[in-house]
Order: sequence, then C-alpha cells, then structure tokens
Amino acid sequence: MQHILLFLTLFSIQTLFAHPVSYKDALGVMSYNNSKMNEILLTYSLTPKFAVATSYLRDSQSEFYIPRINFLLKRWNNDDSQGNIYFSAGAGYEKFNSNNYSVRLGEVVADWENRKYYTYAEHLYLNRDNDQNTLIPEKNYNHTKVRIGFAPFLADYSDLNVWLILQTEKHNNESIQSTQFLRFFMKNVLWEIGAGFDGSMAFNFMVHI
Amino acid sequence: MKKIILLSLCLISASAFANEEIKVGVKGMVCAFCAQGIEKQFKAQKEVESIEVSLQNKFVKIKFKDGQKISNEKITEILKDAGYETEFGQSK
Repeated sequence: MQHILLFLTLFSIQTLFAHPVSYKDALGVMSYNNSKMNEILLTYSLTPKFAVATSYLRDSQSEFYIPRINFLLKRWNNDDSQGNIYFSAGAGYEKFNSNNYSVRLGEVVADWENRKYYTYAEHLYLNRDNDQNTLIPEKNYNHTKVRIGFAPFLADYSDLNVWLILQTEKHNNESIQSTQFLRFFMKNVLWEIGAGFDGSMAFNFMVHI
Repeated sequence: MKKIILLSLCLISASAFANEEIKVGVKGMVCAFCAQGIEKQFKAQKEVESIEVSLQNKFVKIKFKDGQKISNEKITEILKDAGYETEFGQSK
C-alpha cells in the first residue's frame, strides 16, 4: 500500500508545488528522491496555456518514461489571488525485466491561492499494461489528492517564503493517507520536507530556469 | 541672459534624457514563482535596465535605459505571456 501511494505521488509530483503550465519559455527542473525511488522531471511551457513535459522514474523493479502535455484550461487573475484549472495527458512506457509495457495517464488539477492561503485538488487516472511489478500490481489507478496550506508570515519576492501544508490522498478504495509538509521557496527555487503520519518521509525540490 | 538660456537648455536636456520608469499593477501575482517569471520576461527586453517586483504591493516597476521605453501595449503583452493581467497606475 505504501509503495502504491508513493508511486502515485511521484507521478503527480509535478503539480504538487508548481503549476503544470508556467510563463512562456519557462523551463522547470524537478527531482524527487528517497530510499526506494528516484525521479527527474522536465517541463517546458511553449505558451502561457500549453506545456510539454517528460519524466523519468525508477524503482527497484521498473523504469518509467512518460512524456506528457499540460493545458491551462482556465485562470482567474484576481487582485489578491489566483485560481487555475489544468488538464494533463501522457503516454509512455514501463521497462520491466527487459520488456517494455505501455503506460497512459490523464489528470485534472484545480488550485487557488493568495499570499496567505493555498488550496489544491487533483484527480489522476493511470493505466498500465504491466501487472508483474509486485510493488505496483494494479493496472488501473484512480488517485485523488487535496492540499491546504497557509503561510505563517507574509514574505516578499526576495525573502524566504515558508508554508505549512497538509496533504490528504486517496487511492482507489484504500484508506486516506495524510502528510504534513514544510515548504520553503525563494525566487526560483522551492523545496519541501514532508512527514507522513505513518512515519514516512518525503523531499521535493524544484527550480525554474 | 545667455547664461540663463544655456542653463535652461541644460536642464531641459537632462530631463529629456533621464531614465524613465513606470509602475504597473499586476493582477494574480501572488507567489515568488509568479514574480520570477515576470522579472525574467522583462529582463529579456533590450529597452529595460532594471525591474523591481513587489508581491506585497502587487506591482512591477520597470526602469528603462537612456532614451528608451516600452509601450503600454507591449507591457500588457509581456505580462500576458507571463500569464497575468495589467493594471496601469502612476508613471514618472
């Protein structure tokens, strides 16, 4: 169960702390690492409403290569806040025991934030041809995630920004898992340190070039 | 009299070639990543000498190079490419 949740978290990590589509010509580089898995993800925004991305992920049994496209469907630019709805689709393959298996994903993300509060919700659907990886045996996943956060103090652009975030997620019919995150970011660099209520740890990192 | 005229011309010239700057309100700019994108877009413009971004006051202040400027329409387009909307305020 823990492996499955970790797997899904990795596949949707791009949208955990950055918009799937950014400003024109923005390049985002992200790395996620723990004792069981490693991932690197690149995103390039061709326009403010469309981005291409690719991710590489490996666990102890499989390697995944999944290119994807991200669309900004709607943005609300308000005086003191911003809201967004995104859609992503991707298709790639999973390398397992020297064989390649197809992988497909679809994802909808909605977020709203101001300088004090942050909300985020996503639903991810993942379909795989491989069912031999014992860490992730299911072929079809439905994964829902909700995040809420607040900034204990307001920081400006050149200052260190700190956020406290609570994340809850649900995979198919499994029970809800919650993780608390401490997020830091300053200018174009962001990092998060997370601790699950089950004792698991997480570390996220991202830079915009 | 000649000195007065010369002095006036000098003052007018200095004023005409002073670096111009404009302050533009930005709707939706709420995080450092937003601000970083906007800063990067403006720094890529050859007319821009420097840019100051304030999340607190929700504006960008653009300082232009000597004798150069970007039109309000172009500024609106740059901010649109960054994903934001403009609110033009006071300039000097």
